[in-house]
Amino acid sequence: MVSVTPLPSPADVRAALDMVPDPEMPPVSIGDLGMVVDVSVHGGQVDISLVPTFSGCPATAVIREDVARAVAALDGVEEVTVRFVRDVVWEPGRITAEGRRKLSEYGIAPPGSGQRLPSGPGLLQIGGAPPGVRCPLCGSRDTVTDSPFGPTPCRSANYCRACRNPFEAIKP
Amino acid sequence: MTDDPRALLALALADDEHVLGARHVQWTGVAPHLEEDLAFSSIGQDEIGHAVVWYSLAAERTGSEPDVLALGRRPDEYRHAVLVERPNGDWGYTIARHLLFDLAEDVRLPVLAASSWTALGDATGALRREERYHLLHARAWLTRLAGGPPEARARLRAGLAAAYPEAVGLFEPFAAEGELLADGTLAVASEALRERWDGAVAAELAPLGLGDVVDRGLRPAAPGGRQGHHSADFTELWTEMTALYRSDPAARW
Repeated sequence: MVSVTPLPSPADVRAALDMVPDPEMPPVSIGDLGMVVDVSVHGGQVDISLVPTFSGCPATAVIREDVARAVAALDGVEEVTVRFVRDVVWEPGRITAEGRRKLSEYGIAPPGSGQRLPSGPGLLQIGGAPPGVRCPLCGSRDTVTDSPFGPTPCRSANYCRACRNPFEAIKP
Repeated sequence: MTDDPRALLALALADDEHVLGARHVQWTGVAPHLEEDLAFSSIGQDEIGHAVVWYSLAAERTGSEPDVLALGRRPDEYRHAVLVERPNGDWGYTIARHLLFDLAEDVRLPVLAASSWTALGDATGALRREERYHLLHARAWLTRLAGGPPEARARLRAGLAAAYPEAVGLFEPFAAEGELLADGTLAVASEALRERWDGAVAAELAPLGLGDVVDRGLRPAAPGGRQGHHSADFTELWTEMTALYRSDPAARW
């Protein structure tokens, strides 16, 4: 009997990336966020290209290691390279339907919740005019964006006047 | 230090962002209110992220590493404008410098996008998307301080008067700029870009009665930051921001 090590397929690799959690929003994966630009497999060699959500995202080093570890664990993978590309612009539209659903469950308003770029002094006026971003907790649009600068570069800080909870939203 | 004009351009761009980012994050914990702690932390983090992009491009041309370029050079090897090394001062100066710098980015990034150095041009897409938030923030505070009580307006005016002459230094020509223009790395000379920037600055300030800050005839101090001439303020900042790296160049964080 000759034992044959199965080779990984790009679909296997992508499925693995769909399971790698984002370090700062663990219910959502790297795949869900649309960070995967390309996967190529040559025998046991796997090359993965990712795009960060924001250039200054401090989680990229952790993501690189988590991705390499997850893919290296697949049958037949001998070597993994992970690189971040600069010629692709990440946009919220890259987040998958599954990713949007998970974000909402986690309490972060996903793209498509009515986000818009603030303008003028309104940026600094806590308590601007509704309708704001749809609250992921109660669904109301009686909300205000307190600041576009939330706990991570890709999230804004918001407040829901209907259910009186603060919440975050993916920035437009 | 390299003498490759493209690497030197990327280093100058990187150093501007790195050093201003280091100043911005000094507001963390001591800004006028919590939202501003977060805003300047976030903007500073963005600028340092942008510096990593430019350092990476420089490193690819010189066979170095981004961290070595960011933290492993002597103070006189940095190529940022003196403007960005100045201490934060008061809120008026901070907002004035923030506005003048981000307007400079706003006129410069489209020019870099058209570069014949495609890796440089490609990298501008993400930066421009992120810079939108910086300019929104600067404009919001500009409007608020200009229309605020007399002390707010006076401090803003004083901040603009102090920052503008050194902001002109953002347009001191790059090293070997003639070569960069000849091969299309730069589509527009620094001097011409300065005129666009003055137009953008005037468009912001004139409606607020502050247009007299703009002095189109004022030349950048020469030799200035683009040639490695810095102030004692930078020596102090450099000592702090490179302390960990100098104590252990192989440290990971």
